[in-house]
Amino acid sequence: MTELTILGYCSGDSVLHKTDVRFKIACLIMISITTISANFWALSMLTLVLAVTFMHVGLSLTSAFKTLRYVFVLLMFIFIARILSSPGTPVFAFSKISVTREGIYDGVSICWRLLDVIVVGILFVSTTRSLEIKSAVAWLLHPIPFIPAKRVATMMSLVMRFMPVILDQARETADAQRARGVENRKNPIYRMSKLGIGLMRRTFERADKLAYAMEARCYSEERTDPALDSDSNDWIMLVFVMALCIAMTVV
Amino acid sequence: MDIIEIVNLSHRFSNGTLGLNKINLSIRKGTFVVIGGLNGSGKTTLLKHLNGLLLPHTGIVKINGVPVSKNLLRARQIVGMVFQDADSQIVGETVYDDVAFGPENLLLNRAEIEKRVSEALTCVGLIDIAEQRPHVLSGGEKRRLTIAGILAMEPQVLVFDEPFSNLDYPGRQQVLEQILSLHASGHTILIATHDLEDVMTYADRLILMKDGVVVKDGSPDKLIDDLIVLGILEPRGFRFEMEMPS
Ligand SMILES: Nc1ncnc2c1ncn2[C@@H]1O[C@H](COP(=O)(O)OP(=O)(O)OP(=O)(O)O)[C@@H](O)[C@H]1O
Ligand SMILES: [Mg+2]
Repeated sequence: MTELTILGYCSGDSVLHKTDVRFKIACLIMISITTISANFWALSMLTLVLAVTFMHVGLSLTSAFKTLRYVFVLLMFIFIARILSSPGTPVFAFSKISVTREGIYDGVSICWRLLDVIVVGILFVSTTRSLEIKSAVAWLLHPIPFIPAKRVATMMSLVMRFMPVILDQARETADAQRARGVENRKNPIYRMSKLGIGLMRRTFERADKLAYAMEARCYSEERTDPALDSDSNDWIMLVFVMALCIAMTVV
Repeated sequence: MDIIEIVNLSHRFSNGTLGLNKINLSIRKGTFVVIGGLNGSGKTTLLKHLNGLLLPHTGIVKINGVPVSKNLLRARQIVGMVFQDADSQIVGETVYDDVAFGPENLLLNRAEIEKRVSEALTCVGLIDIAEQRPHVLSGGEKRRLTIAGILAMEPQVLVFDEPFSNLDYPGRQQVLEQILSLHASGHTILIATHDLEDVMTYADRLILMKDGVVVKDGSPDKLIDDLIVLGILEPRGFRFEMEMPS
């Protein structure tokens, strides 16, 4: 149980922990949008900033790698697909398959962008309590008519709350099945379906228990949520991220 | 005065199983009650009726004279419940947040929440690790955290479902001491457990269940033989006559 994924809140007192959630959400959105069309210079700049922030927040690099290992596999696939499908000047060719310079360039930049956005997400999730997210979402949706802001916010914070639970459950279920020799089965579909069914059942059971426990403690949409308050540091942070985004678009 | 009053309570699950069958019980304020019974005898089902997590099929459950179903929030505030599986009832992302969860739901103001959380954490001895992530705590600490989470709501009745499961001996001792001191401070205590030997010496009253029915109800020292007859205690594993653990 102790080896937890980093996809959950880790207490601390970094700048990000202290920043108002609404500002963090704004920064998250700005950076994600800017990254879509960022070139290598811009990406290097962002990566540098993210690396420094990552260290400052005090997250463990090893556990980040562990959590993200499947993401790396996915990125690998994207990379290979890009390399093989982009037309252009061939770097080398093997019978009908040719690897092009444009393909490599495309592949690298797409994977890099995705990775940066993922790291931004991790930084956000690990420095923000799910209840704070609830307050922020309720605040952001509050002016929009016909949207039950509180309810949407409650659901979002519950989803955030359940992510680590599901990941945890997945690992335990996979371990239990490995202990019973599931690896002898070569068929990946068979293994996926066995894992999926077991995982679903356990996740629902656990969700059921959690729901009971929350109900027993009088949970409802109407509650004293964490207060949202912004100070000058939040604005400084916002201005800094804006400057970063502008710099990323002009280089 | 009877803080809990159960009259003719039956509960049938949606699949047709009769979980509880015509239960009648009154529990006086301030008593220490232990509920025993084999797996599947209906202990958890009974406890879940006390704060309206389950509602009766027939019959009525009253807390301080008011039916639970009339006012669920009130019942849940008076009857605090600690569940069997500590992991799945920890809601907060830090120890502090988890204890604050209940008071926040009661719409208290920040200052009051702060006060109650630090009181509850001090009471269970976890105040020094308030900023920890709950997942990294030991089994005994997790159990005490769940108790703190309930205490912060200032209930009058504390209900424990298998509070000793998955704990080693020191862990069980710690939790037991915690429960005893809560009883001493005036709380009404209900414990459902298999580890009767641990708590029976302290109980005012022992209730034995079987197949959804209360089969015995009385003072623990009068029910020793029944425990063996019902198969709840193994004859030679019985330690009731031994000295109390210090
Ligand atoms: N949701 C449910 N649907 C159908 N039957 C249920 C449900 N929950 C419990 N039961 C059944 O009701 C009976 C009593 O269950 P309960 O959980 O109250 O027993 P228990 O005394 O708490 O057992 P244990 O000591 O194992 O915790 C059991 O036979 C169980 O199978
Ligand atoms: Mg039970």
